[in-house]
Amino acid sequence: MSTDNKNTMVKLRNVYKYFGQLKALDNVSLDIYDGEKIVIIGPSGSGKSTLLRSINKLETIDAGQIIVDGFDICDQETNINKVREEIGMVFQSFNVFPHKTVLENISLAQTVVRKRSKKEASQISTELLKKVDILEKSNEYPGKLSGGQQQRVAIARALAMKPKLMLFDEPTSALDPEMIGEVLEVMITLAKEGMTMIVVTHEMGFAREVADRIIFMDFGAIVEEGTPEHFFKNPTRERTKIFLNQIL
Amino acid sequence: MAEITGKKETKKPVIEIGDGPAIPRKTDVGLFTAWRFSFIGAIAIIAYLAISKPDPYLAILKFVPDGILVTFQVTIEAIILALVIGLFTGLGRISKNRIINGIASIYVEVIRGIPLLVQLFYIYFALGRVINLPAMVSAVIAMAVCYGAYMGEIFRAGIESIDKGQMEAARSLGMTSSQAMMHVILPQAFKTILPPIGNEFVALLKDSSLVSILAVSDLLRRGREFASESFTYFETYTMVALIYLIITLFLSKLVSIMEERISVD
Ligand SMILES: Nc1ncnc2c1ncn2[C@@H]1O[C@H](COP(=O)(O)OP(=O)(O)OP(=O)(O)O)[C@@H](O)[C@H]1O
Ligand SMILES: [Mg+2]
Repeated sequence: MSTDNKNTMVKLRNVYKYFGQLKALDNVSLDIYDGEKIVIIGPSGSGKSTLLRSINKLETIDAGQIIVDGFDICDQETNINKVREEIGMVFQSFNVFPHKTVLENISLAQTVVRKRSKKEASQISTELLKKVDILEKSNEYPGKLSGGQQQRVAIARALAMKPKLMLFDEPTSALDPEMIGEVLEVMITLAKEGMTMIVVTHEMGFAREVADRIIFMDFGAIVEEGTPEHFFKNPTRERTKIFLNQIL
Repeated sequence: MAEITGKKETKKPVIEIGDGPAIPRKTDVGLFTAWRFSFIGAIAIIAYLAISKPDPYLAILKFVPDGILVTFQVTIEAIILALVIGLFTGLGRISKNRIINGIASIYVEVIRGIPLLVQLFYIYFALGRVINLPAMVSAVIAMAVCYGAYMGEIFRAGIESIDKGQMEAARSLGMTSSQAMMHVILPQAFKTILPPIGNEFVALLKDSSLVSILAVSDLLRRGREFASESFTYFETYTMVALIYLIITLFLSKLVSIMEERISVD
């Protein structure tokens, strides 16, 4: 996807976030355009999750500005729930609702938040379950599902809100190796459909195939950014090289 | 006494003694038979006494059932009110709003530090100064205010036992925190808090005997009324004790069955 027609979906300006003394985000500025796919990489503790979680305000930043879909999310006047409706998030640990069936998992926020009727929500849920290829499990409880299946339910649950932006925080890290593929497949399909995506992952194959831009973070700061081509052929910064050597 | 030397001390033994009668589990064979022995024994003794010595035992049995109903009425009304108070107290205790959190925490501390009987008197007479409530209503409110503090801790623990990823997932879908509580957190917490609530119910039922001082004709008071007219104190209190025992043993059994059902799910 080209980034030429520049409609900004997410804009970060000089963002700082502290956990006590620890600087988790260090002067991060970043623009993400409509339809763009960003992959964020970096060592453990480098602030990748914190960055992602700041975008839907699961973390509150200490300084700087974050604009999502035109809304300044740090502004007290902004109704963060409205903004979150437009941002889907997928977690490393799935976080599906264990007391709801697969279908109910996907329908819940549609009825509660989007105020869709039960019937309409079920229809949309069924469509999405087909899409993530798990329709036959509609009436099961998540406890009966494999990790890969649970994560696909979590993706469908986020998609049911018809979001404009999807955040993925290491969606395959908690999965057994044989299940990683099925989840990445769903994400690739989504990317091809033009969804704006920010993905924290160590899956370099996915990054190479899908990313418009890769961002390398270390110690809370963006160290280097560029196309996959740039990253895999000639990364410029020393820290990037060391990191890539470790994981490739 | 031996000194505790160094850090060799591993886990301190935890002594768990609940308030209600020990809850029998299938695995706990000794206790299981102890439960049976007490339950069947209590019924057998009542039956034997009533048949072999109808005066005064049968007369007592005929006199106190009104009181049993009142005991249940106080207990059920108080527990429902305590659940409501407990829910809000529990939510208050986890609230990030300092004022709300402070109020809830102080309520819990204060209530837990005052004996129930003193609270009962206090609320009864304090309420009596402002509005003249029937004894029954005052009693229920007093019991509920007291048990609400304990319920609050149960709710708090139940809510905190739910993985914080659940709240985050709900919020990231655009739910407000109350929507997330209602649809995601509380339904899951309910499973963990149901057995302790059951135990509180049993404990409350026993403590409800305290309201007999407040001119509420519960089981204990009915017994006292009978005894003071017939001068059969020993016989009457024997019957009253046995009836309490049967009720609490029966309810404890229900709680344990409920607990087992939940853990199977
Ligand atoms: N709630 C928190 N309280 C205190 N410190 C935190 C908290 N969340 C994150 N941190 C710290 O902030 C830093 C950045 O954490 P973050 O989770 O964003 O890193 P990450 O890049 O996602 O790491 P990983 O690859 O391990 O997921 C880490 O040092 C982490 O320990
Ligand atoms: Mg992380």
